[in-house]
Amino acid sequence: MGVNAATHLEPTDIGEVIDAVTQARERSSALEVRGAGSVLDRLPPGDAPVLSTARLTGIVDHAPADLTVTVRAGTRLDEVRDRLAEHGQECPIEPIGEHGTTVGGRLGTALAGPRQLGAGRVRDWLLRVRFVTGAGTPATAGGVTVKDVTGFDLCRLMTGSWGTLGVITEVTLKLRPIPPHRAWYATDTPQHDLASQLYRPAAVVSTSERTHVLFEDHPDDADAQAAGAGLVPADPPVLPASARAVVDPARLAAFRADLTELDLTVAIHDQLGLCHLDGQPDALVAARAAAERHGGALLVLDPSTGLPAFGRGHAPSPLAQRVSTALDPDDVLAPWRWQR
Amino acid sequence: MTRPRRRGRFTRRRAGAPARPSGSSATPGPTSPATASGRSASLATAGSGSVPSATADRSLSGPETSLLATLEDILGDDGLRTGHLGRATYRRDASFLNADPLAVALPRSVEQTAHVLRACRDHGIPFTPRAAGTGLAGGATPTGEGGRRPVVVSVARMDQLRELDVPNRRAWVEPGLVNARLGKAAAAHGLRFAPDPASQIAATLGGNVATNAGGIHVLTYGVMSQHVLAVELMDADGVVHVLDGTRAEQAGLDLRGVSVGGEGTLGIVVGACLRLLPAPPAVGTLLAGFASLEAAATAVGALVVSDRLPDAVELMDARAVSLVEDYAQAGYPQDAAAVLLLEYEGLPAGVDAGVATADRLARDHGATSVVRADGPDQRARIWKGRKAVAGAIAKRAPDFYLQDVVVPRSRLGEMLDAVVAIGERERLEILTVVHAGDGNLHPFVLFDRRVEGMIDRVFAAGHDIVATALSLDGTVTGEHGVGIEKRDFLSDVFDSDDLAVQRAVRDAIEPSGLANPDKVLPTTVGCGEARMVPEGAWV
Repeated sequence: MGVNAATHLEPTDIGEVIDAVTQARERSSALEVRGAGSVLDRLPPGDAPVLSTARLTGIVDHAPADLTVTVRAGTRLDEVRDRLAEHGQECPIEPIGEHGTTVGGRLGTALAGPRQLGAGRVRDWLLRVRFVTGAGTPATAGGVTVKDVTGFDLCRLMTGSWGTLGVITEVTLKLRPIPPHRAWYATDTPQHDLASQLYRPAAVVSTSERTHVLFEDHPDDADAQAAGAGLVPADPPVLPASARAVVDPARLAAFRADLTELDLTVAIHDQLGLCHLDGQPDALVAARAAAERHGGALLVLDPSTGLPAFGRGHAPSPLAQRVSTALDPDDVLAPWRWQR
Repeated sequence: MTRPRRRGRFTRRRAGAPARPSGSSATPGPTSPATASGRSASLATAGSGSVPSATADRSLSGPETSLLATLEDILGDDGLRTGHLGRATYRRDASFLNADPLAVALPRSVEQTAHVLRACRDHGIPFTPRAAGTGLAGGATPTGEGGRRPVVVSVARMDQLRELDVPNRRAWVEPGLVNARLGKAAAAHGLRFAPDPASQIAATLGGNVATNAGGIHVLTYGVMSQHVLAVELMDADGVVHVLDGTRAEQAGLDLRGVSVGGEGTLGIVVGACLRLLPAPPAVGTLLAGFASLEAAATAVGALVVSDRLPDAVELMDARAVSLVEDYAQAGYPQDAAAVLLLEYEGLPAGVDAGVATADRLARDHGATSVVRADGPDQRARIWKGRKAVAGAIAKRAPDFYLQDVVVPRSRLGEMLDAVVAIGERERLEILTVVHAGDGNLHPFVLFDRRVEGMIDRVFAAGHDIVATALSLDGTVTGEHGVGIEKRDFLSDVFDSDDLAVQRAVRDAIEPSGLANPDKVLPTTVGCGEARMVPEGAWV
């Protein structure tokens, strides 16, 4: 274990993770689990000692014939991507920003990438997870086969748990062949109903100027769909990065109408109900209130705004609190608990 | 809240529990894993028509009598079955594991269900959720713990499609709605519901959620969990928790994900929001015959690493092919040792490219025939053959035992060889169908329970199939669930820490211990050899 053992721990294997968590628990201390910091650096700073996955790295096993890869949590997503690409394969979960996102961080936060519309949720690409609970218990859930209903589905539970239940140490991901063709197109005006008129586009993102569409399919099919919808080849959209709001897609039109009243730069994943936002703090506060009115939540990823990252929309349900307590009885992990 | 003591609260065990049915002609021999470990288990003939009669002498405890009176007030005559015959049809799901429930409740609404669960709680009596009963692992078999017989709570009467939300491509359903009925309703709007277990004409969506069901198109569309946006889970206090996953990013924990596949141990699924997809504009279906299982398995390996993943890759061995041909006239090549059914869905150019690739790869790997379905009728016939296997078996043998194991795709050939060897060793006819793209095998072990000693060989074969899958880095169930059938194997898959964490999560979500007790997690960890007939269940 390395670096400054009081404030920054860098375990190199699962045994050291168990030791770190157990010792923190014995000291009634807390730990903040950290990957590359691509998300945590964009939250207001915390004061808990950091448990970094920086030395829990490496691709353990890539099995191209099984369409699986097993990696340690601190491995960078781009390293995994490059290795898989050598075999024409990918796991379509994408880095958020350019901070060298780790696999563990990506699964821990489960923030959606643009291709979620076509490729599905982050949570659906996880086959097996190894983690250490807040009680210091090592556990494995799931398996290396693509179908597995052996025991409760803790893979889904750990995805998007933001380090509040356990320290993810290793994951096995499901893979797919890299689509043979991939191209962005755009309309010349925003068309929020475009997504439902196309057959399974990989991504659809509307800005105030136009609607961008990504097709990952046979080039003839992509061209035919593009021509039918009046799309022309275009660059990918630039996504605002200060905040992201999610609402139930059924509430998206109403939420979008609320956003137009505010002085914000907005990019919207139509059909997904996900909005990327840039703007002044007061506009973001108003956007958060609107998202929460529609039953959604807004996450601020820019500490310079002075706003809390999480809002009321992130408050855990009583049932979720019971599960948290079961796995982390002494609140060792991520002590901010959706309030930061 | 604390978990009630699981034993000793009601000291009266059911009479002779479980009593030995009279007239049973096939009592397990001394080599049965069940009796060898000193467990009470017995062979009834529920599967072949007659009903165990031993429960006629049952006597009820005070709480049981009181609960039945309360349930009758809630449900009326029509919604409660307490009699011998009324209970008998709810002893088992589609597995052959059965047990006698205290009663069967058939609530018509969420509200009635809540009253039923509260009554159970107040009397300290467990409940076993049930829908169509097509499950294959005994998940709906009403085993109790410590002699407490559960009430079966059937959601079959809550079978409405609450809302088909076409613009947002999703459906809110009641748990008793049959899978295929949702598919039909969605199709009218150019949509489809992707999970398509072979039992979809009878299986319900509540059951599909509870078991995290699979199907034929899992390879690219994923298992049930990927199509469940929200779950309404009723706990043992009758409170409904809406576990919402409709938003693109979780805000909070994905309890929806845990509840899918909870097998009734976390509560009762009383509603769900399901994702619908646009129906594919083009479909290409191929039927390829191979001279050996090995060649077919190798072709599957090549298809899985090709540049376009098929949406379905099914493998059937020669026995399965010959059996269904008489029954379904699916047009399968009768001289083949194995056939592959392949499907590509999507837009026309991509489908054609996929079909061309598959045709070439199949021939490169020794396919003796490759036929592309020339239209919807032929496609329907090809799939009818696959889905008719269980039905066709009835003509061949009075009983079958259906296994469900998964191996990494690269080990498929080894696993298929092992199944053949196990069948030969145990002198049993085993036919195998495989969701080959997923490495998910379904060996059907045919048998006749009236033949002396045959059931022991069936158990031995089942045990060896599971053990082989484990030895090949596979697992014990891919889509049927753990239920009671696979429960004790979990100690072979997970260590005691893994299971302790699973138990902690279950107990946090369902602290009463009344929801489908005795299922999924082994009651004792690492107690030795897995049993094919767990305590409290009958065969």
